Amino acid sequence: VQSTEFSSTIEMPDYIVKYTALVSMDQRQSYKNDFNAEYDEYRLLHARVESITRRFTLLDGQCRKLTPGTKEYQKVQDDVLKEYKKMKQHSPSYHEEKQRCEYLHNKLAHIKRLISEFDQRRAQAWC
Amino acid sequence: PVEGSGDANCVDEILKEMTQSWPPPLTAIHTPCKTEPSKFPFPTKESHPFPS
Repeated sequence: VQSTEFSSTIEMPDYIVKYTALVSMDQRQSYKNDFNAEYDEYRLLHARVESITRRFTLLDGQCRKLTPGTKEYQKVQDDVLKEYKKMKQHSPSYHEEKQRCEYLHNKLAHIKRLISEFDQRRAQAWC
Repeated sequence: PVEGSGDANCVDEILKEMTQSWPPPLTAIHTPCKTEPSKFPFPTKESHPFPS
């Protein structure tokens, strides 16, 4: 659905406006180029966030297995704080990076979906 | 929410924030396969990957 008027553009991400349904192979190539241009950055950020999330998920799992008030529990809680401080030190812009990665994920998924839909339409046209 | 020591609350907050589910990465775009175009390998259900 294309419209020249957007009454609620406040929540509309820029890529929704920029990337609309494909109509040509040239356009497909240009969308793909745009995807590839940001894909490496996306994968790098994604891997970074993933590894940090994994560390905290492990600690969280340990916490859940232990009884609050015990020494072991307290130790894991201290580890969480330590790990968090370490993260702040090594990746001070973690939150910005995560946000950027979420934005890229949605944007690239959008472009990829359009390309996939285009390919499907082409495939059907050949039948 | 239980009012415990500042640290315990802090740790809870950290864990809540840092263990939000993280979707697997998107795969790269494949070149269009002219012989078997229907085998395009990704589903199109990536519309809402992040809980906002």
